[in-house]
Amino acid sequence: MPDMRFAPPNPIRIADRASGMNAVSVRSYNERLVLSLLLQNKGLSRMEIGNRTGLSAQTVSVIVRSLEQEGLVVKGEAVKGRMGPPTIPLSLNPEGAYSVGISLGHRHTDVVMIDFVGQVKFYTSLPLPDESDPTNHSKLVATVQKALALLPNKQEGRMAGIGIAMPEDQEELALGPTGMAERFEAIGKEIEDALGMEVYVQNDITAAAAGESMFGAAKSLDDYLFFYIGARLHHRLVLNHQIFHSRTQASKPAGLIDLEQRLAASGTPTDMLWERGAAWPAFGEERSRWLQDCVAELKSSLDSASQFLPVSTVIVSSYAPKEVCVEITETLKSVCDAIDARPGELHPSPKALGAASLPFSSKFTVEV
Amino acid sequence: MKTVLCFGDSNTHGQVPGGTPLDRFGPDERWPGVLRKQLKPDWYVLEEGLSGRTTVHKDPIEGDIKSGRLYLRPCLMSHAPIDLVILMLGTNDLKARFNQPATEVAMGIGCLIHDIRELNPGPGGHCPEILVVAPPPMRDDIGEWEGIFSGAQPKSHQLSHEFELIADSLEVHFFDAGTVIASDPADGFHLSRDAHDILGKAIAQEVINIGWAG
Repeated sequence: MPDMRFAPPNPIRIADRASGMNAVSVRSYNERLVLSLLLQNKGLSRMEIGNRTGLSAQTVSVIVRSLEQEGLVVKGEAVKGRMGPPTIPLSLNPEGAYSVGISLGHRHTDVVMIDFVGQVKFYTSLPLPDESDPTNHSKLVATVQKALALLPNKQEGRMAGIGIAMPEDQEELALGPTGMAERFEAIGKEIEDALGMEVYVQNDITAAAAGESMFGAAKSLDDYLFFYIGARLHHRLVLNHQIFHSRTQASKPAGLIDLEQRLAASGTPTDMLWERGAAWPAFGEERSRWLQDCVAELKSSLDSASQFLPVSTVIVSSYAPKEVCVEITETLKSVCDAIDARPGELHPSPKALGAASLPFSSKFTVEV
Repeated sequence: MKTVLCFGDSNTHGQVPGGTPLDRFGPDERWPGVLRKQLKPDWYVLEEGLSGRTTVHKDPIEGDIKSGRLYLRPCLMSHAPIDLVILMLGTNDLKARFNQPATEVAMGIGCLIHDIRELNPGPGGHCPEILVVAPPPMRDDIGEWEGIFSGAQPKSHQLSHEFELIADSLEVHFFDAGTVIASDPADGFHLSRDAHDILGKAIAQEVINIGWAG
């Protein structure tokens, strides 16, 4: 019987000496565990990583070393602790991986490129293509290529993939022109064929919640109720990092269309409502009344959910100006006891940033 | 107080480049001494560096005692309990008389790791942490040592990669000394006083990075 101790070495993780990321298939569960932890926390020492993952010091040492060589993790400056010698904090390397996110909407298509820590490197908003356009989305492929061209030299291999936030809400899809939904469905394959990159498709609201969990206001949260104010008001329940949505659950009308209709009734121009990153003018009385109704809607959802589940945190996301989300969360807190409500932190396009988080979660985290 | 055993060859002994085993840097100058100062007062640093030590080979010329494997077990037993074992060996395995490729030298390191694990000389009968340090590559010009080390130089450049593979597969800590220091030109494979200083500080940081509760 051969003594297997002296068989040729079988490394748990052979560091790739060339630059660029290793094949996804060889990324072990333990590596994903460490990367997930570093997505949630900056500047952890190897000991903290070991304590929080349950991995041995030597296993952490092997994994961290290979992630460093791959350029996914970087050492920080030594930190002098209150006692004992200084420790070296570890963080994700922002330039270690990139991702593109596309949010398809009935008025705009938003495209972002982000780095490994969620910083926006590219953002643009495209109008809906003309119905006579022979492609599924004119300019979309060219726009993604423009984003990819911004990557520093030899960083193409660091592109994790392209995420698409796909609208599925029937009421919202009905707002677009005929055939829009079918075109959207075909876009994933079109991009995959044109760019030869992996494409990840997710429901748009679920993607926005996933983005908040990875990079935004929900980074430190296990459980929360997620609301997205788009044309309509959408919600998701997040329990232990899992995002739930039932096929039967519908959006509610208390979204921006509701506000638009109220404003239109009083003769106020409403174009600013649909612009990306635009500050809203003082919409006056209509705005406050809409906001009150919207908060009442949130409270009612929250009351229903909390009858069954211990949900105490609410995230309110929207591409509308941040002060709108802040006002909504503040109002919600004033009418609900013991509720922590926070505005979403993904700007300028929560759904597109959420879409961009999809390739990262698929390739680097344990929650897939 | 924790205990670290520095198990190595002439470069752990502190042999002056171009000198003999009796020409030795001072206790505070050689890297285990630098390590001791860096880790003060939490660590007890044991120096076990022998000129000519190999990983597992009994040297037909210098004697059986040069086998790291032969001496490691009694050495661990003498010093137990040990929290951390640092292994910095490999260069002497590249002598022409042993005719070993870098992969076999790495297997020798693996063998020592298995021996440590069999003995479990750590606190409470556990296995100590193990840190493999790959020696810096030799220089091309090794002067009168050329005959003894004939053909060793290119292999010495492969040691860090092969050692890392062994460290990965056996899940132990690893540090490549060649990332911070180079061999001294005086003889092409020993370390200068400055190199000892840099190495001792770098290894101290590696020891701290392991993370020690309490």
